[in-house]
Amino acid sequence: MEDLTSHPQDVRGADCFASTLSDDALLRQFADGEAGAARVLTDRLGPRCYSVAMRMLGNRTEAEDVTQDAMMRLWQIAPDWVSGQAKVSTWLYRVTLNLCVDIRRKKTPDRLSDVPEPEDDKASVVDRMQDEARKDALQSALAELPERQRQAVVLRHIEELPNPEIAGIMGVSVEAVESLTARGKRSLTVILTGRREELGYDNGG
Amino acid sequence: MADEDLGLDNLFAQARQKRTALPDDLAVRIQTDAETIRLSRLAPAPRPKPSIWARLVSTVGGWQGLGGLVAASAAGVWIGFSAPTFLPDPANLLTSQETTFFVADLGFDSSFLENTE
Repeated sequence: MEDLTSHPQDVRGADCFASTLSDDALLRQFADGEAGAARVLTDRLGPRCYSVAMRMLGNRTEAEDVTQDAMMRLWQIAPDWVSGQAKVSTWLYRVTLNLCVDIRRKKTPDRLSDVPEPEDDKASVVDRMQDEARKDALQSALAELPERQRQAVVLRHIEELPNPEIAGIMGVSVEAVESLTARGKRSLTVILTGRREELGYDNGG
Repeated sequence: MADEDLGLDNLFAQARQKRTALPDDLAVRIQTDAETIRLSRLAPAPRPKPSIWARLVSTVGGWQGLGGLVAASAAGVWIGFSAPTFLPDPANLLTSQETTFFVADLGFDSSFLENTE
């Protein structure tokens, strides 16, 4: 299995040694009062957490809140963390997904407040909407998927996690993950194909 | 299906490339949380409020003081039950009907009283 903990995104001077340590060891160091460990863990795990939350929620503010909350739970659990029992990243992905589910459940069906105010440049409104929709075609299509399919597709095809790890995160079998991702991809294809015309792909756009 | 898959895979590839770094302010917030928790663990745990018994012991001067108090109380009880012979019986002192006293015992010159007789 690919070791996803070996790709720190941003490592600075004094943290070079810490960056060679596993997530487990860093979490133990943090629990022992080592300040640098938190910095490396944040650089390593924070972006993944944020990326998943963004794809699951499609809302920057909510994704930021979820990321901060998930990382907070990581700091809190550090002294009680049992090394070798589970991967830190697996645990964090699971916490992140659960927090995303909580946020979506709390949301009211009325999403009018989320719609940005229209701007004055009326001539380009349609063009801009089409452009935005094209850019975020995947995001809007993902939003239509059932929760579990969306989780599986995001973890498999955007986070590029191996199926056994996704199974651990979602608490299902590897076969169930394969089924969820396959169904999710089929649904996405159908949704995206149905939108091609309304997004103006046929007009050379 | 192959073409459709190709389009979807392209979108996935774009999404992977667009994976945004952690916003700076969010990174700061996360670091602040971590530091707060780290420092709270390093700080000594707040002392629990002492019990009534502990405060009582402290009032009489700790365990040594309490020991002295117990010893003195035990001695008092012992003396009460089995007083040495040279001590007056406290029960008699309390119930004594003898109210005679001498003016001379008051300790001042009482000779003028004698002159009036």
